[in-house]
Amino acid sequence: MPDLEILIQSLGLVVIVAPSVLLCWLGIPSLLGRPLPESWVHRVVQTVIWTGLLAALAVLGLMLVSDQTHVMVVGRQWVHIPHYHFAFKLVFDRLSVPLVILTFLLCGTIGAFAARYLHRESGFNRFFVLYSVFLLGMTVASLAGTIETLFAGWELVGLSSAFLVAFYHERRGPVANGLHVWSVYRVSDAALLIASVVMHHLSGEGDFDKLIRGEGSWPFGSPTLSVSQATLAGLLLVVAAAGKSALIPFSGWLPRAMEGPTPSSAVFYGALSVHLGAFLMLRVSPLLDASPVTCAVIVVLGLASAAFGALANRVQTDIKSALSFASLTQVGLIFAEIGLGLRYIPLVHILGHACWRTLQFLRAPTVLHDFRQLENAVGGSLAARRQSWEQWIPENWRNWAYRFALERGELDQGLFNWFVNPVRELFIACDRYERLLLQGNPPPQKLGTEPWTRVLEETP
Amino acid sequence: MSAIPLPHADAPAMDRPLTSQDIEQAIPQLGALLPFQGPISSFVFLNPLQGLEDLPFDEAVRLGAEIFGCAPYLSEERYFLKQQQGRITAEELSAVLVRELGPAAQEPVGPRGTRLDFRLRMLTHRMHLGPPEEMAWWIAETDALKRLQQDVPEEIRHDFVRRSRTWILQAGTSWPGWPQADYGTPGDDWSDQLWEQASLACLWKVVLQGVERVELQPARPSRQRRLRDRLEQLTGIDTDLAVHELLIRLCAALTDQGLAGWPLPHREQGLWKAFLALYSEPGWLTRNWLAPIRDNLARLYTGQVTAIDSLRDSLQELGVSSENLVDFLRDSLVPLRGWAGLLWQLETRGDRVAQPVQPGTLLEFLAVRLLLDCQALRTVAAERLNYHGPLSGLWRVPVPPPRNSHSQQLELLGLQVFQAAQWCGWTAGEMLQLTSPQWENLVRELETFQPLERCRIQHLAFETRFREKALNAMTCRAVLPHAQVATPRFQAVFCIDTREESFRRHLEEVCPEAETFGAAGFFGVPIYYKGVVDAHYSTLCPIVIRPQHWIVEDVIYTQEASNRRRTRTRQALGEASHRVQEGTRGLATGALLTGGLGVLASVPLIASVLFPRLTSKIQHQAARLLAPPKGTRLRLERLTEKPGPEGDAIGFSLTEMVNMSERTLRDIGLIRNFAPLVFFVGHGSFCLNNPHKSAYDCGACSGGAGGPNARALASMLNDMRVRLALAERGIEIPHSTTFLGALHNTGEDSISYNELETLSIAQQRNFEFARQQFEETCERNARERCRRFYSAPLDLTPAAALRHVEARTVDLAQTRPEFGNATNAMCYVGRRSRIRGLYLDRRCFQVSYDATTDDLEATILGRILAAVVPVCEGINLLYYFSYIDPQGWGAGTKLPHNVTSLLGVMDGAASDLRGGLPWQGVEIHEPLRLLFVIESQPEAIRKIMARNPAVRQIIANGWVQVALLSPDSPDLLLYEAGSFRPWSPRNAGLSQVDSSWEWFRGQRDNLDFALLNPVREVPHA
Repeated sequence: MPDLEILIQSLGLVVIVAPSVLLCWLGIPSLLGRPLPESWVHRVVQTVIWTGLLAALAVLGLMLVSDQTHVMVVGRQWVHIPHYHFAFKLVFDRLSVPLVILTFLLCGTIGAFAARYLHRESGFNRFFVLYSVFLLGMTVASLAGTIETLFAGWELVGLSSAFLVAFYHERRGPVANGLHVWSVYRVSDAALLIASVVMHHLSGEGDFDKLIRGEGSWPFGSPTLSVSQATLAGLLLVVAAAGKSALIPFSGWLPRAMEGPTPSSAVFYGALSVHLGAFLMLRVSPLLDASPVTCAVIVVLGLASAAFGALANRVQTDIKSALSFASLTQVGLIFAEIGLGLRYIPLVHILGHACWRTLQFLRAPTVLHDFRQLENAVGGSLAARRQSWEQWIPENWRNWAYRFALERGELDQGLFNWFVNPVRELFIACDRYERLLLQGNPPPQKLGTEPWTRVLEETP
Repeated sequence: MSAIPLPHADAPAMDRPLTSQDIEQAIPQLGALLPFQGPISSFVFLNPLQGLEDLPFDEAVRLGAEIFGCAPYLSEERYFLKQQQGRITAEELSAVLVRELGPAAQEPVGPRGTRLDFRLRMLTHRMHLGPPEEMAWWIAETDALKRLQQDVPEEIRHDFVRRSRTWILQAGTSWPGWPQADYGTPGDDWSDQLWEQASLACLWKVVLQGVERVELQPARPSRQRRLRDRLEQLTGIDTDLAVHELLIRLCAALTDQGLAGWPLPHREQGLWKAFLALYSEPGWLTRNWLAPIRDNLARLYTGQVTAIDSLRDSLQELGVSSENLVDFLRDSLVPLRGWAGLLWQLETRGDRVAQPVQPGTLLEFLAVRLLLDCQALRTVAAERLNYHGPLSGLWRVPVPPPRNSHSQQLELLGLQVFQAAQWCGWTAGEMLQLTSPQWENLVRELETFQPLERCRIQHLAFETRFREKALNAMTCRAVLPHAQVATPRFQAVFCIDTREESFRRHLEEVCPEAETFGAAGFFGVPIYYKGVVDAHYSTLCPIVIRPQHWIVEDVIYTQEASNRRRTRTRQALGEASHRVQEGTRGLATGALLTGGLGVLASVPLIASVLFPRLTSKIQHQAARLLAPPKGTRLRLERLTEKPGPEGDAIGFSLTEMVNMSERTLRDIGLIRNFAPLVFFVGHGSFCLNNPHKSAYDCGACSGGAGGPNARALASMLNDMRVRLALAERGIEIPHSTTFLGALHNTGEDSISYNELETLSIAQQRNFEFARQQFEETCERNARERCRRFYSAPLDLTPAAALRHVEARTVDLAQTRPEFGNATNAMCYVGRRSRIRGLYLDRRCFQVSYDATTDDLEATILGRILAAVVPVCEGINLLYYFSYIDPQGWGAGTKLPHNVTSLLGVMDGAASDLRGGLPWQGVEIHEPLRLLFVIESQPEAIRKIMARNPAVRQIIANGWVQVALLSPDSPDLLLYEAGSFRPWSPRNAGLSQVDSSWEWFRGQRDNLDFALLNPVREVPHA
């Protein structure tokens, strides 16, 4: 059925072109200094989302009808030499289609929400430009057929997330936390990049479908790489996924990301980007099948994160942090499921969790109202009715456990002590030796110049 | 408290050792200065500078801005914007300057012109000023030295070039400073532009030479009050970041009302003990800034050292003496004032929350804070400065010299003179003639007329313009006859709220036979109230009153069985829903729920975002199945001697009911001419997704809805025993009159009524008539409100407008369900008949008061003002300051708000608790001090001010403006500088229109006042 094949492929192109069009439509006028008016932004976003969503649904329908489980849309080859190539390739299969539909569904809802929520906000246009970057990144990452394509989408998601955390850049907290998120993402990006280099080195290409032998499509098929190869690439990918999904030891950034406007917190950290790591694991599942060590690491990381998230969630006193740790708990479990060799269950878990958490985030500002309603219905104080499992913690450990949870495991401090500072010192030492070797100069005491942070004060 | 504190220039000398008593005495003083916001679900409107009300307004604003690091006025840019919009004109600026300067206005400044001219030009032109780097760029890269400033008027430009030209041709070229290299010899072929350029080049040189003759004022030392400021200057590290992260979590955990599943251990022992218990535990990291003091904390914990002892030790270590103790503690509280204020509120007014905190918490907070401060300072000083000595010695570590060099300072000064000279049209030739004292004078003038002072004048002019217009409108209306309704079809008593201004106006337009009144929205009935479905009592009275009585709503006897059934169902559903909500946050249950059912959540998600109104209707239908039966009544009369929250102690005694009824009726002057139906209409606002929901509710009910108060008063007045007693006291209520309680939902503009089942057949007809009038009014009122919403089209029909406002209240994505009292600017206390028919644009609080029924001592007015002045002033100034500095005084934008501890909101992940109003609630506000127009005589007001110190303080210190309208003539008196002076209109006349709609149609912004023609149509008595 070549006609049907072509139809699916062209619809597939629509799915990816729609968000690109949105980015240009919103981005180019902004670059020219003439951002679109609010009502236009709203309309453009709706049009694009509907187009993308309908195209994705049509792809799903046609694939079901024609009983295909694996459709490739090949774009250009970036580099092509014998036994080695970089390709821009999209894949529609049982994993990517549900995720891309979810992306459009949630982004569309959030788009409609944000158009009203951010009405007359000075950053309205900026929000929607970043939103379109995010949408494009999510679509590319979910449909990616090669690791380099996935990396492109992954980067866009990271970039827009960091900027959205720092959305209120006139205050110090959002900027510092945006930088924190960005730094963690860098580590995870670096791991992903190295992993892709390793994959190219091992097999000459980064195509996911070449990771398996024979005709099977996701999640079936047997791996092509040897155990040691798969373990090397797999562990690097686990680092990448752990950073993106805020697993231990990176978890500190997740509550810090709650600085932006409510809808961005909802869609990014509650629903979509936090699951991107889990999605990556599913995408490279053949590697995991080949490497029991990687699977074991994933299970341990996942369960530890889930337990940590559950404990930290118990003591959070603000609604957004509480929800973010609740997200972490489920993401940890999803990882554990993946590590245990499950495929469809984690996928369903991702979809369900994303929808539920988005709804909870959007309702976060109404928690006072909801709490009161519940108390009225129950006819008394809710705090008194809570079941708490903390009472099972031995008494002399309780203070310790509470403090551990309240300080969020001191994970950020740990990262600084054990990773950031040593690396920084190493780099400074390298810099010093380089200067000494090349110039023979004594290195300067202080690097860089101090920024001008004072403003001319109007008030005494 | 009132003196501006000096910065700690050096380590302060220890005059006498600090005692615990000093500290204990300081705490209440500090508490009074902190933000007063308690739980956000009962929002309180008070003056943010309440602690400084004993000072005159201007002084307090400056001091408050200094203490809290906020802006005292709008930025100059904003005032220029207001000038462009015509909200400030040169006329008012000039009038204000003349009044403020007195005779000094006519002294000469510069080569020509007076101080008045000079200042006026400073106020109407924007001074370009910035950091030295920016200014260097401005001079080098822009046309600053080539063209006159763009805002120099054409005639001055002309004149400037003409006179400069003459001077250059006559004397300029022989002046030693003449830029020969650039311009050579001027010739006839020079274009105008070249002349302008050369003139400016000369002026710039003259100015630079001139300012060199003036001795520069030493630069103001930067404000450093805490060691943290000094250390930040020395190292660039802000120790507050680490300290605050910990403190915010700790305070939130302490005050949490049930958001966290696991409450703070040892909460019942207070902040200090809980902190020590937690932090004397070892963390798993050894390299942590707190690790070094862990042993110390453990020692404090086991040694039972009290907070006050630790606080005293910390203060001594920081070198704080008993003399600057209060200032120092205040400055230590200010960075987290939201949290500190909340602790103080929970400590002193614990009746408003389920879980208050112990007395002494603020002191414990300070003890913890300073303990952490000291450790953070020690860590940074050791790491960065290698300083290990006593902390107070840090004051003596030398600081780097300021960046601005002498020449840069001169250039900055020169630039200011240069720009001012252009506005005044002073040429180089004229400036060359100035003597050294004249230069000195000019520069000092520039220095004294700094942005702060300029903004103050701009603001006064802004207020003056509004005041003139408002008083003019009052006079114009007052010369017309009273609009007394001879035989009203029905009467309605509303809250004094500005939102009810438009509602009453429309009601009177819809039904000219209706009569309306205004009274504070708790209608003189201060209560704790619990409805049929409520789990807890809520406080329904102004925050300054503590209710003494409890009222509950009961289902009527015959429907009790059905109510019990429904209550059980609600309870079961509530428990289930609670389990699910908790469950999704848990581990195993979360996995089951999100994994198994999660996708189903997309249905309510999409429905509620895309179709909010429909979703809400469906929810309402569903909820009705479970709602309690309609038939309910209030338990009003108590059986026991003393009131209480339980059983027979609930309610009032008969005498109390009579007293309250009499007082309210007399206050509003409704003691005769009763209509068959009298409504008491409380108000509240019901909207989703809005932590600040309570800020839209009734300010006189501590952020609750005033429906129960209205209903209680109506029930009392329907009681025959009360009526008999009232008749004895001279208020005869006819048997044919019935009182009804009602609730105006200001969000969706609807009215709901209570206890209609008590109406007789005849009264049902009357009620039906009134209900139709109310419905029509709701639609019209909704249309008037919609004109302010940018997302509502301007051409809505009344019915469509009503649908629009309904949708706003149930929309999860809507951050502006309504604007509350955002347009408030004035308050009228007097008879409605004197201003009926005046279009007041929802800007006016209206309190009904009939001066003709009052005694010589103005007893009634006295008790009205005792409540109304602080309440309205509080509302007004909270809006005022939240608008002036939305980040500092206000709560900033709503969008990143994060509900914490169920008590307040933070910005994003963690921040100080945000008090004040969010920007979305104040963006249409005009910051004007409330203008009271009171229908009374000066003697009466003077007597009241003498009797009531709170009212006197607010009026005499200028926290509000006051004008008096004579009860029997259209004359107005204005209170200025301690006395009442006759006010005469400058621009008489007022627009006349046929209806409100005609006046506001197609308009988005604030409108002028107008007269509605139906004024004449009302038959007057």
